[in-house]
This record gives sequence, C-alpha cells and structure tokens, in this order.
Amino acid sequence: MANAIIMPRQGQSVESCIFTQWYKNVGDEVKTGDILFAYETDKASFEQEAEADGILLAAFCEEGDEIPVLQNIGVIGQAGESIDEFQSGEAVEASSTETVKEEKVEVEAEPVAEVVLKERAEGEKVKISPRAKKLAKAKAVPYASLEGSGPEGRIIVRDVEAYLASTPKTTPLAKEIMKQEDLQPAETGTGLAGTVKASDLTATNPVYSGDFEVKKLPNIRKLIAKAMHASLQNSAQLTHHLGADARQLQALRKKVKATEGAPNITINDMVCFAVIKALKQFPDANAHFLGDSVKYFNKVHLGLAVDTDRGLMVPVIKNADDLSITGLSNQFKEVAESCRAGSIDPELLSSEAASFTVSNLGNYGVEMFTPVINLPQVAILGVNTIVPRPADLGGGVYGFVPYMGLSLTYDHQAIDGGLATRFLKQIAIEIENLTIDF
Amino acid sequence: MPKSQFIDPVKVRKAGVVKIQDIPVNQYDKSIEDEKVNFSKEQFIDIYHDMALIREFETMLNLIKIKGEYEGIEYNHPGPAHLSIGQESAAVGMAYNLGVEDFIFGSHRSHGEILAKGMSAIHKMDDEALTEVMKNFFDGTILKIVSENHKGDLKSLARRFLVYGTLAEIFARETGFNKGLGGSMHAFFTPFGVYPNNAIVGGSGDIAVGAALFKKVNQKDGIVVANIGDASMACGPVWEGLSFATMDQFEQLWEGAYKGGLPIIFNIMNNQYGMGGQTCGETMGYDVAARIGAGVNRDNMHAERVDGYNPLAVIDAYKRKMELIKDKKGPVLLDVLTYRYSGHSPSDASSYRSKEEIEAWEAQDCIASYAAELEKAGVASVKELEAISTDIKELMKYAMKLAIDEEVSPRMDLVKHPEIIGDMMFSEGSVDKMEDRPVEVNHPMEENPRVQQIAKKERFAFDANGKAFSKIKQYQLRDGLFEAIVDRFYKDPTLVAYGEENRDWGGAFAVYRGLTEALPYNRLFNSPISEASIIGTAIGYAMCGGRVIPEIMYCDFLGRCGDEVFNQLPKWQAMSGNVIKMPVVIRVSVGSKYGAQHSQDWTSLVAHVPGLKVCFPVTPYDAKGLMNAALQGTDPVVFFESQRIYDIGEQFHEGGVPEEYYEIPFGEPDVKKEGKDVTILSIGATLYRALEAAKELEEKYGMTAEVIDARSIVPFNYEPVIESLKKTGRIILTSDANERGSFLKDMAQRLTELAFDELDAPPVVVGSRNWITPAYELEDYFFPTKEWILDAIHEKIVPLKGHTVSNNFTNAENIRRSKLGI
Repeated sequence: MANAIIMPRQGQSVESCIFTQWYKNVGDEVKTGDILFAYETDKASFEQEAEADGILLAAFCEEGDEIPVLQNIGVIGQAGESIDEFQSGEAVEASSTETVKEEKVEVEAEPVAEVVLKERAEGEKVKISPRAKKLAKAKAVPYASLEGSGPEGRIIVRDVEAYLASTPKTTPLAKEIMKQEDLQPAETGTGLAGTVKASDLTATNPVYSGDFEVKKLPNIRKLIAKAMHASLQNSAQLTHHLGADARQLQALRKKVKATEGAPNITINDMVCFAVIKALKQFPDANAHFLGDSVKYFNKVHLGLAVDTDRGLMVPVIKNADDLSITGLSNQFKEVAESCRAGSIDPELLSSEAASFTVSNLGNYGVEMFTPVINLPQVAILGVNTIVPRPADLGGGVYGFVPYMGLSLTYDHQAIDGGLATRFLKQIAIEIENLTIDF
Repeated sequence: MPKSQFIDPVKVRKAGVVKIQDIPVNQYDKSIEDEKVNFSKEQFIDIYHDMALIREFETMLNLIKIKGEYEGIEYNHPGPAHLSIGQESAAVGMAYNLGVEDFIFGSHRSHGEILAKGMSAIHKMDDEALTEVMKNFFDGTILKIVSENHKGDLKSLARRFLVYGTLAEIFARETGFNKGLGGSMHAFFTPFGVYPNNAIVGGSGDIAVGAALFKKVNQKDGIVVANIGDASMACGPVWEGLSFATMDQFEQLWEGAYKGGLPIIFNIMNNQYGMGGQTCGETMGYDVAARIGAGVNRDNMHAERVDGYNPLAVIDAYKRKMELIKDKKGPVLLDVLTYRYSGHSPSDASSYRSKEEIEAWEAQDCIASYAAELEKAGVASVKELEAISTDIKELMKYAMKLAIDEEVSPRMDLVKHPEIIGDMMFSEGSVDKMEDRPVEVNHPMEENPRVQQIAKKERFAFDANGKAFSKIKQYQLRDGLFEAIVDRFYKDPTLVAYGEENRDWGGAFAVYRGLTEALPYNRLFNSPISEASIIGTAIGYAMCGGRVIPEIMYCDFLGRCGDEVFNQLPKWQAMSGNVIKMPVVIRVSVGSKYGAQHSQDWTSLVAHVPGLKVCFPVTPYDAKGLMNAALQGTDPVVFFESQRIYDIGEQFHEGGVPEEYYEIPFGEPDVKKEGKDVTILSIGATLYRALEAAKELEEKYGMTAEVIDARSIVPFNYEPVIESLKKTGRIILTSDANERGSFLKDMAQRLTELAFDELDAPPVVVGSRNWITPAYELEDYFFPTKEWILDAIHEKIVPLKGHTVSNNFTNAENIRRSKLGI
C-alpha cells in the first residue's frame, strides 16, 4: 500500500515550511532511513529520512515551495500503485468520515482592517456598531477618531481590533482612568514593552488627582493644534533675531496722528509695508516649500496673524504688493474685523493662500519669540516690541535709540542662514528708511 | 382513486335524469294524547321544565344585559350574550333522546343547547355516574361550590351544577366550565356530551364531522349532532363538512364494522335569520333549508323539515333519525324550524323585522302552547307548572348570586399567576398512544414493502471517503418522515391520516408510499380536495381524543382552511381551560417550480397565530426526529416540508439517520456548520443555499460562517443563536418566505433586543421578493440565492474585499421598495 510523504510539523507554531530539495527522483527506489528531502523553517534547516520502503512514486512540490505542515508532498509505494488519493493536498486520515461541509481549504482569515484615523467635523455623528462600541469602551479606545470600514463608514469590531493591535498595551489601572476621564494614552508607555501605565496618562497626577476639568477641544483649536504640530514636525525651522532702528517708524506714526483726516496707519501697517518691499527683493522668502520643489510667487500675498476670541487666525491680503500703505492698512483692518466677527471667508485663512506671514506681538510687550511657520510657507516674521537700546549716535555720542525686535523663523529646508539673514537685514533697512504717503 | 372502482364511459355517458325523492316538511301531527303511550307524565313535565329552565336562563341574561339587573340583583356583564329566547323547544327536542355518549357541537347561540343536553344527561345518568362526573371535574371545584346549603336529591344538585357552571363560564369566572376562558359563545362541558360551541358561523359544520369520524374509526358508541344556524348553510366549511360526511367511500370502500355512513346529524337550528338577514326570501335561495340534502347525496341526507316549535315533533324526528344512524345510514340533515324573539345580540334593535311578526310568533310561543297542551290533556295543572317556574326562578337567583360573588367565583388571578393563560396555550403532553388497544394494520411492519426498501438504503449521504452515494441509494428526507409516521401507526390505534392523494398514490410527494399496503381505509384515506374539511374534521377528531395527521399538500392551500388553522386549531386547548387536547399534525409542503399559488413559504402566517407549534425540518435526521416529537405530543403542529428536498440525503448527522426511534425537541435550532465570522440563521430549504454562501465566504473572502438551521419556528430557543452571535457579532437571516412580515423579521428584532451589544451590524433578513412567485426559470430573481446572501453581507454587515454585488440591498432601495409596497 502506498504511503503519503508529509511535510513534517516543526513545533506548535510553525504553519508551513519551505521545501528545499529532493534527494531522490521520482522512480528511484527508497529505503527506510534514506535521506529523502530537505526543508527549512525561518529558524533552521532540516533533512527528512524516508519512513517507508518502496519507490518514490510522486513528488508534489519543488524547491522553494511553501508547504503547510502535514500536507502531502509525495508518495512512496510500489510500482503501479495509484497516487490519485494523495493528490488532494491534504494528509489522508485512515478512517476519514469527512463530509462536504468540512472541506479543509486553506484560506487567509478575514483581512485585518487598517487603522485610519479620521478628523470628524464638529457635530459629525460617529457611526459605530454596538459590539464595536462595547469593545472600544472596555478597552478605552478613542473610537471617535477612527475611520470605520463597515457599511457607510460604520466603525465595526475589526476597526477597533486593528486600533488595539496598533497601540501599546495598557495596564488595567490606566485603562480604568482613561475610561473615567476620557483620556488618550501616550504613544508609548513607560512600563514593560511600552505598556502604558497610569502615570503615563498626561492628565493624571497624584497631587491634583481629580482637581481638573477635561474639556473637548473646539474645532478651531484642533485645527490650530494640528497645523502647528505639523509645522514643527515637517520642517526644519529656526529663528534669527535682529533689531531695526524704529525712530523713523515712530516719527511717521506721530505724523499720522498729527495729521487731521489722515488714515490710522499703525506701526504694524508700516512694518508690513516694509516687509513687502523686502520680499520683492528676496523672492526666495516669498515662496512655498513643497518637498521636492519650491513655488515662487510673483506677487506678495501677505498673511497677518490675528488674535481672536476663537483663537489664532491668519487671514491673507492678496496681492499686497499692489497696495499703497493706506490700502494695506484698510485691508488689514477689514480682515482683522471679519476674523473677530467670524465672518471671514475661509479661503482667506488657508495657509496655502499666503506667501509669507507676519505675526506681530509688539503690542503685548514681547521682546523676542520664535514664531511657527505656516507651512508650506518658507518663513514667518515675528515683530516684537520697541525697546530703547544704547546706540552710537555718531560722533562718539552714545544714546538710547528705540529699536524694534524682528524674529524671522525660516525653514532651513528651503532657505540657508545667509540668505535668511540678508533678508531679515533688508527688512530692517526698509523699516529704517520707510517713507509713506497718505 | 382506487383501481377497484371502474369508471365505465358507457355507463356514465348514458342519457337519463336524476330523480330526487320528496323531502318531508312538518309532517308530525300527533297530539299529547297520542303521545301518552310514548311519554310518562314525568317525562312530559321534564320537557316542560327543561324548556322553562332555558327560557328563564336566557331571560335573566337578557335583563342583565339591557337593565343591569335580574330580580333586584345588579350586575354588569360586558361580554357577549347571544340569546335563544323562543328556540327552547328546538333545543330540548334535539337533546331529549341523546345519551351521554352522544356529542353535540354548537354555535355562538348555544346556551339553550348546553342546558338541554346537560339536563338530558342528568335525567339519564344514575347518581353514581353523576357524582363521579361532578367530583372529577376540576377536582370538584364546582361541586364544592354548589353543594353548600344544598337540600334535595343528587339530580337537583346536578342541575345546580349545570346552571352554575354555565353561568360562571359566561361571566368569565375561573369556576366556570372552561375556567372562564371560553365564555358565552364557547362554553361547553364534555362529561355531559356537550362539545365546543363555536363563535365562528358554521364553525361546527366541519369540526363535528371529525367527531363523527372519531366515533366511527374508533368504534365508539353514540352519534354526533352539529347544531348550526340556517345562515351558516352558505359557509364554505359547512358545505365541505357535508361533502366529507357524505363520501361514497364510507359505504363503498370501508370494510367490516367500518362500512357505512358517518353517525352525524346536521341540525340546522333554523331561526330564519342570520343576524338581520332573512335566510328565506333575502340572503339564501333554498326556501326550505332541508332542500340542501338533495344536493349532497343520493339519500337527500334523509333530510326533512321539522316543526321546531313543538318539542314533541323534534323528539319524534330524532327518534327516527337515530335509528337510521344506528343502521349506518347516516349522515342526516334536519331543518328544525324555530324563531328567536330576542335580537341577534342585546345590541340588536330588531329593525329588520316587524313587531307584528314577533308578536305572531309569541302568540304561538313554544313553551306556552306546550303548557296549554299539557293542561288540556290533563298531564299537569297550571299550578304544577307554575311551581316549576317558581323553582326555576329561585335557582336562577341562586346561581346568579353565586356566579357574581367575587369570593366564590373569582376570575383568573393574573396578578398572582401572570402566566396562567400562557401555561394553557400548549398541553405539552408526551403520549405514545391516545388509547390503549391493539392497532389495526394489514401486516407486521417488517413485511411492508417500503420498510424493506428503506432497509437497503444508505442512512448517511456520503461514504467513508466523503463521496456522495447516488440519490437512489440515499435514505431521503421523505424516508425519514415515513419512518416516523409508520412507527406511530403501529403504536397509536387512534392515529389516522388523510388528505389529498394520501391513499394509493402515496401522497403527492411519495412520503406515504407503502402506507396503503399497511393500513385499512379507516386509518388512511383520500378526502375531498377541500382543505377546510380536512383540517376541520381533524380538529373534531382530536377533540374527541384521537391523533391525526391531516395533509393539505401545498402550503399555499392554508388559505383554504384559514378559519380552521387560525381560529379553531390553535384556540381550543386554552379556550377549553385545558380540558381538550389537540394532537393534530398538519403536513404542508412548500413548493417551487409551480408559480405564484404553489410556491409560498407561509411559516410566518402560522407562526403569528398563538397556539400553534411550527417546524420546518430540512434534513432526513431532523425530519424524522421532529415528526416523532410532533406525533408524541398533544399539541397542534403545522409541519412544513419542502418539495425542493424530499430526495435529499443526510449530510450532517454523524452515523446517519438512526434506525431506532428518537425525538428532536421542538424549539431547538441546530448548528449545521460552525464558524466564527458571521452567523447565518435559516428557516427551511434555504439552508442549502446558506451553506453554499458559507463555502464561498470561506474560499473567497477568508471568513467562516456559522450556519444555524432553525428547524422549529414556534417554539424557538434563542440561546444558541445568541451564543453564536457572541462569537460572530453578525447575523444574516434567510428563508424562502417573502421578506415583508417574514418571521425572520421577528427573529431579527428579538435578537437585536436580546443581544444588542453583541451586534457588529444590524441583523439582516434575506427573504424572497414581495412579489408573486414567477416561473421556475425566473426563480433565482425571486427566492434568496447564495449571491443574495453574499450581497447582503457585503452591503449591510461587512464589506467583502473585491466583491461585486448583483442585487441591490442598499437603504435607498429598501426605502423605495417599501414606499411602493413591493
């Protein structure tokens, strides 16, 4: 009677082996104990001896095949014996009462879903199955930020399971606290193998324990957070600080104030006006960095950071280089007002809309800061308060001169330090030599 | 279609005329004087008493209904009271000659018949038998109540018992004859031979025939009287009952002691109105209801019209007709002419008849004129008769006071025992045989050709290597049914089976092949092709204590016995206060290939009606086990089969279908294939398509499906399905029933409720379209297929990678179809 040659089983966890070589050809005589074939697992190589006498009647695999363990790979028997029954690709059991319903077909299990995080708009409904929700709650999974793979985007169990598979393990205490306080786990914990412990949860502190209130972020905060975080993550930014003599600015400002019927042109308007002039001379700074290319703008589209009750907004003035100082001033007032009123056209808030941004904290007395670039712009100018600084007034005379601090943050991916310095210097020059008509 | 009967074209095509014999009308013309030889004084007076008792009983109810009091005792009875004032002589005349072993069936207007038949039994029974009946009924509850302060003989105690038991039942008291569950229109008392009265017009017209069949098949003494109204003669089931009762085969094919007509009298209580419709002159055309007999058989059913206003005329007719029945010349049709003064019900203002008409009948009042005759003939004095009336009035006051006393006669306490009615819906008996006596069969079971043939079959579909045996070698589903049924025929002597093509042909689907050889006509026969009579008679047969398998072939024909299946079969166990058992197993088959009126799965319709057990096995193992359980039980079962798979072999039960007896308990679903990713719950033959879908899910999409076969629909144990859901979180429910209102929807809802947190998607029902069933070639567009199941999973439960749908299971389509009602 013919016997099946099976792929041996190598330990509990090995599902399949790679077949490497037959030592006999089909038709060869085989004796018990002869080395018959070789195979390997991901850890070791093996040789297998024949377990029966006879002739190698059939070989069902060749070098490189991946064979599930216990599957038939050949037949040893006597010449002329049928090998048909061995060819099913299954090990044949002696007293099989297999039925059709139990066909053992090797198939991959249901595909595991990929974790896709999703930013939901304010008030957007989270569709989640009861079972998925139950699991998510039990395992403290922030399901609201998962993208569902079920029908109509419903979050189903496999999405939660996929999330769980992708996050570090969490201690029971941490889980409980997360559940109670609706916190999110740290990316990696400090416990064994990155297990998240209660102390890793950002808001948990033995001192103040429950003495806090956790509030959901409003959407604008989420957007700012995302943009700012992305900026720092995705660019190589650094900041140069430089001062500009502000006497001219102050003089101009005084003049504006003193002139009956003149538009209220502010120091900020003047600085921006100067920045536009500088940008016209440094097109490298009036650009977007796109990773493998740079977008240079012909015109200056100037973004101005505006502090509002809702949070930081950066509206843009299109074609700002076409404007007179009065026009620029009027437009700034207009967009700032609509930002505060919430009526601003969202198109004008996009960081893609501006080619350069100015953030002015001078009014607040800030002496120096490092503004964060509005990607994909390549630089941002921070404007600081004016402070008196000792200066050489000429002729060996030293006195105090009002200086305005300028902080230029630039993306070193796009611009080198020399250029950035020269650009910043040019802004200072433009400020110091500014003339305006009104 | 027995071969012994030759249909000779020469004979049947010959010219001739059908001659109809005369039908006598009111031929009785004797006086009391003439009758003195036949009746003693006491008997004459008993007749008067029984009529007066009914009159007072009905008058009491009438006063309660219209005035809220009787003899100064106040009571509000909100329930029905269809009174028969004026008809007393007809009822008493009917019951007078009947013995305790004779059964009467009635209508909604049967208080008088209950009292008449009850009194007739009391007159005839000796003290010992009466005591026995009263003591044993509901453990002597009623006897205890009426015994209190009773003075007088046992017969007068029994009279109290009868009046109180009936009245308490009408008032829905737990101490009534049927625990208050029957009420006015359904009250009855079997120990006195009073069988269920029926609130559906003509309802007794076929059920009573089944009782007569029981008497005949089981060689019981006594006859059966079907008291039906004149208007019910228009009802289909009554005609079907008449047709069934007059089948030629009783005379021509049944043999020995079984030969001859059914012992039944169709007693038309002809009060000449059907509610407000006048049957003679308005709503019917028979003129004299007795004429109907001429349309039914050669003997005119021995029909005659009897003057029901004269009790002696009715008694005389019964005497003669009972002789005929004793000679096996039944059945008989009697048209007992009478009149009711009271309206159809107390709300009836009698706007359809003139005052003069009522007065004319009252002038000839059956009781008053009988009393006058008695006085005239010197049988009884006015004083004597007045004393009887006074006594009766006292009895009524007594019974009423007692019956409305909340202490003595409480209603069912559903606060204390909230499930008391629920516990009565099924009797849940397990009984080998309904009577203990030898079975009548033609040969030992092992000599049966079918039994011998099955012995050679393979009881599992596959050989040791998993290869399927040829269809012909496989033990098929129809063999499983046959084994269970033949086994019961050899166990239970009362078991009968009938329906369309049951004998000779062996059933349209060959389940009964071999039974014809094993059984005489009186146990297996072909019935008229009229489903109401098939089911209706089965109900009557079971009510009397027999077990029966009626078969109506296609499930679609359930509509033809709608009243029997929906109103009668499921109700009587509970409505009787569990006095009656209903071991009826209706076989119905779900078709295919035969279009719109022969392909419907109506499990949902019967499952909707409380009181029926419903199962639908689709493997030989399940079919045999469930049929055994159905036949061992005492509850009505609608047993669904599928024509798609009568020839299917056993693919699941290891070791094949056991040769020995086993039961599969009702209500237990069976996991036919294990899996972990999605559950498919199927009802009926859809199982095999569900298994195909499971296979494809596994091979193409890497998901394993757990396939559960519901097997039973009512009752149903949800626990195994919930267990499966805990594993899979997803469930598809599928059957061939059209999707709207399908029982699967009920299951889906219940599972949602029971296992909401386990669900990873809503339970999804895949049923047939809400259309007519198209031709066989188009059935794949109508019945669920493997593809439908996969599409539904993809669309509703979990998107299958790379799957392309061929059917529209989207929400928008769902809404569109619903809007259109398709």
